[in-house]
Amino acid sequence: MIKVLFFGPVADRVGSNALQIEYRMGMKLQDLRDACASKYPQAFELVSMMAVDGEHARDMALPLNDGAEVAFMAKFSGG
Amino acid sequence: MKEAVRIQLEDFSQDEEIAALKGRSKRMGGIGTFLGCARDFSEGREVAEISFDAYGPMALSEMQKLRSDAIEKYKLLDARIVHRIGTVTGGDNIVFIAAGAEHRVAALEACHWMIDELKQRVPIWKKETTPQGQSWVVPHP
Repeated sequence: MIKVLFFGPVADRVGSNALQIEYRMGMKLQDLRDACASKYPQAFELVSMMAVDGEHARDMALPLNDGAEVAFMAKFSGG
Repeated sequence: MKEAVRIQLEDFSQDEEIAALKGRSKRMGGIGTFLGCARDFSEGREVAEISFDAYGPMALSEMQKLRSDAIEKYKLLDARIVHRIGTVTGGDNIVFIAAGAEHRVAALEACHWMIDELKQRVPIWKKETTPQGQSWVVPHP
């Protein structure tokens, strides 16, 4: 399984802070994003940052491992 | 002594943070600091309170990397970053950054760089409560 995390404005639009998505062999970050975005299009209008296992991820071709933790995030507004 | 990089609910003391920074080296000739505070008015609206959401483990890890990067980039003697979460109201402290160097230019530039980078790198979000309702803050450039 892949653990998908949402925070702040994205979590509000999804209506949840986390989802479990079934892992498929060869799954890439783009595949996961597409699957989640088709389910929550309004939330993903806000998504501009991603993280895999707590590290910033910009390469959409990044392969995911089973058990990965992926966050789809809006622009940060801390500080 | 408290950790140099922290995310916490409670307020912090600038004096304690600066004392901890100064205690790291007597070669420190300049300390640059930034204090970010909650405003009670924003985008033409009264703000009753600000609450935060954070990807806690990643936010802390990014702040630790940010401190290390600043120390290396500006040849700092030390640096500290503290960010509050939870709920704050107008005038409350939100974030404190301190950079200590042998000379003032490195200290000031590093401090400025760290707050700009923090806003880009650290996964924390602010939500304002106003008479019109609650809204997530759109980051300023």
